[in-house]
Amino acid sequence: MIIENFKHKMAAHCESGTITSLLNYAGLQISEPLVFGISSGLFFGYFHKMKSFPFPTFIVRSKPGQMRVNIAKRLGIKFSEHSFHKNEEGARKLDELLNNNIPTASQVDFYYLDYVPSWERVHINVHFIVVIGKEDSNYIISDSYFPDLVKLKSTLLDSSRFAGGTMSPKGFIFHIAGIPSSIDYEAAIVKGIKKVCFNMLHIPLPFLGVKGIRLFSKKVVDWPNFTRDNEHLSHEIMKINILLEDQGTGGAGFRFMYATFLQEAAGILHKPELSDLSRHLMEIGDGWRELSLFAARIGKNRDLGPEKLKQLSGLILNRAEVEEKFFNKLSKVINKT
Amino acid sequence: MKERESIVNCLEQQVILYVEKEDGKFGPIQTGSYISANYLDDYFSKRKNLEFSLRTRVIDGEISPIYYYMVLEDLSISELAKRIGIRKSTVKKHFEPKCFAKCSVKILKKYSSVFNIPIANLLQIVLIKIDGHYESSSVLDDKTGKLSVVQSSTDNPYLSMTKIEESGK
Repeated sequence: MIIENFKHKMAAHCESGTITSLLNYAGLQISEPLVFGISSGLFFGYFHKMKSFPFPTFIVRSKPGQMRVNIAKRLGIKFSEHSFHKNEEGARKLDELLNNNIPTASQVDFYYLDYVPSWERVHINVHFIVVIGKEDSNYIISDSYFPDLVKLKSTLLDSSRFAGGTMSPKGFIFHIAGIPSSIDYEAAIVKGIKKVCFNMLHIPLPFLGVKGIRLFSKKVVDWPNFTRDNEHLSHEIMKINILLEDQGTGGAGFRFMYATFLQEAAGILHKPELSDLSRHLMEIGDGWRELSLFAARIGKNRDLGPEKLKQLSGLILNRAEVEEKFFNKLSKVINKT
Repeated sequence: MKERESIVNCLEQQVILYVEKEDGKFGPIQTGSYISANYLDDYFSKRKNLEFSLRTRVIDGEISPIYYYMVLEDLSISELAKRIGIRKSTVKKHFEPKCFAKCSVKILKKYSSVFNIPIANLLQIVLIKIDGHYESSSVLDDKTGKLSVVQSSTDNPYLSMTKIEESGK
């Protein structure tokens, strides 16, 4: 069986894409950038030493799962959520929801999804998909990173739902349980923007927000000290491009999608200043893209001497400077609302 | 980013990018992944070199297959220990061939689940001869050879099937 009316659509990001498609199915027409912006998805964090990662890394989005929590809070959406101790219980509940024609989002480990090309498969427990049907021993999946619906063996879905490790999904599934009759988009947008400004400017930790971008800029020149050899360094430097452009960001580490959100928000709030700021953020995003292309190029050419890393560090530091000014301006504009 | 600058031809990996359209409005477009379109060969070349150097160390008895797969799959020791449900210090011991030899089948089964391979692959490396030299089937891009290795599980959790098939059949 397959839930016929569910419309599969690609999205930039798995979590905002999953929430958007569930809301659209439930009758609320909302765009992915609006979901992303209202839920304060934009972020930056640099982790020089973190036990769960074998190498320094950075994130460009809020904590996985937080988008759903913020959307529920700010738009008044009710989600029904379930976690499980036993795999069998998790499978039974999912089948029950599908039998009731309820598209169900599931948190999974990306590594076990065999429809994903081999070079993209990594152990990361925070991918979100929508399960919309079952045929024999295969589930029908709407994965927002793929143009078409895909099939996944029930054994692999089970492995991916119950993978251990950091942020283990524990079979977590959720679906829409209720949408309010009227939604105050204006208040939700203002709250969403204020939170992003706070996260980027005022969290008192040196590795988060704009401070995190500065730390990244400072530490990237030390990366050769943590690598096995030059090819390993090349791999890690090229991953900067993947994290910014390829891993479901909509380009430039979510900056392009956030700019699109600000343009939409300008219309809803009747604030032309936000439209100007959205153009500015698009330009800032172009700088991030330039940086990620530079990283891919020097990585490919194995041109990874101290001078090139210093140049890369400079490009990152420059993003910190422009983003600090940008979020201060955005904060001023939104606080006048 | 302007829409015309964002078009990349890469059918293997499609992505959504948000761009500035001709009318000045921002919105999504579906295009190819830039890094997959331009740098995939480099990725596979590095992965093959890494696999070869790790394989040599396993053959020389310097490291165990647990370390081989952990590095190949880009996992940290802490993350691997957490996924297996044992201490980090125990995982470190399993890196040594002598201690690896003492692992129970139950523990090997857990490792094989994390690496998504049959248990048998913790005791063997399947190679395919391509252009006169051998490559591990675990690091091959499916398109590179005439033959592909398909390993599948059976109803018996301790028995897997390894089939050598013509690619694309």
